Amino acid sequence: MTDVPNESDALVVAAAAGQRHSSASAVEERVIALFDELRIPLLRYLAGFPLTLQDSEDVIQEVFLALFQYLRRGKSHQNVRGWLFRAAHNLALKKNLRSRREIQNAGPLIAVEELLADPSPSPEVQLAFNQTQQRLLSVVRALPEQNRWCLYLRAEGLRYREIAEVLDISLGSVSLYLERSLAHIARAAER
Amino acid sequence: MAVDGELSPREAERVESHLAACWACRVRKQEIETTIGEFVRFQRQNFDLRIPASDGPRALLKAQLGQRVEAERASRLQWHRAVSWRFGGALVAAILALAMGGWLGLRYFQRHPSRPLDVSVPNPSLTPGATVLLSQRELCRETSANNKAVPVALQRRVFDEYGIRTAEPRAYEVDYLITPALGGADDIHNLWPQSSSATVWNAQVKDALEDHLRNLVCQGDLDLATAQREIATNWIEAYKKYFHTDRPVAGLRD
Repeated sequence: MTDVPNESDALVVAAAAGQRHSSASAVEERVIALFDELRIPLLRYLAGFPLTLQDSEDVIQEVFLALFQYLRRGKSHQNVRGWLFRAAHNLALKKNLRSRREIQNAGPLIAVEELLADPSPSPEVQLAFNQTQQRLLSVVRALPEQNRWCLYLRAEGLRYREIAEVLDISLGSVSLYLERSLAHIARAAER
Repeated sequence: MAVDGELSPREAERVESHLAACWACRVRKQEIETTIGEFVRFQRQNFDLRIPASDGPRALLKAQLGQRVEAERASRLQWHRAVSWRFGGALVAAILALAMGGWLGLRYFQRHPSRPLDVSVPNPSLTPGATVLLSQRELCRETSANNKAVPVALQRRVFDEYGIRTAEPRAYEVDYLITPALGGADDIHNLWPQSSSATVWNAQVKDALEDHLRNLVCQGDLDLATAQREIATNWIEAYKKYFHTDRPVAGLRD
């Protein structure tokens, strides 16, 4: 969970240098570079929502299109990574509401989290999926939403303040939720 | 918070000096770090391997961004045109030129009705390919993996995206880029109008490639994601690669 220099940091540096009004193609390039860097972390975070993989991919597309518009308007982008996670969080909540309505008409969908519990994954995954991990999975899935989201965001390397901004909660709450989540996981690992 | 490096330097120093004197606290700190490490490892191992390759979503995003950039350019152009309203003479001349051009264009198209384009390879920005999430084992368990019929409304949308409006409908067949037999999705980004007039690289040739790739995947000789990527990137090149030939094998040409 160490912080490494990345494209999102480069963007912040560019902002600090006063490059507020970049051309459309330059912004497009940056957005694509950020997509390459953060698509998988965002997908991992969205696994904490009851969404299908396709829904999660749709959310990510919408998030990066929104980022493009945001940057084109020359708005401040001091913490682009936090901005992306926050936008993904809000869109996932909306999408989840819509999906729930659709599920009532179209039958159950397979949520991304279900993938983690797939009983017949590839041989490599099957090998790694030992008993401890089964316990971890069931503990993580049983965590209250806020605790789980805090844990997933921390696992992606977001700092406490960033998590508080993404979830719109206090710093103390982030600390409390993470402590509870880790305590649950530690107990599962000890058994 | 101390473990996560979230304390101020002064607070962190106090915690460190306490830890130096407290054996139990050091063990607790170690436990927390192990738990965090365990969770991160667990999440990566069980999730990352199952995420589809980013080629399709990336191409889709690029296409959508390209559309936005174009839309921006068009609206700027419109603004410039609006400004030029002040120059009445130029405007009248422009209108006359446009009208003349339009009339000539209309006459041309009346004489030369549009012919179907020979579309052998899809436009990657419109049809980057899309997949459903299936493991190799799940895919190969399906014995009846024939292509489903594409609904007419979806076919219309595909024609519309490709700007095909006046050609004979039978001149094209809306086909899956990544066949459902290889985990292709029932999605507009995975559909394209394949020209029926193609005599060399036609639908039968592509079907042969799809069957061959599915066999390779199900025999364990080819990774599913690789098969999907290669057929989505350029199915003709994939055919040449997997059949070791520059031309379709005999019996598949019209």
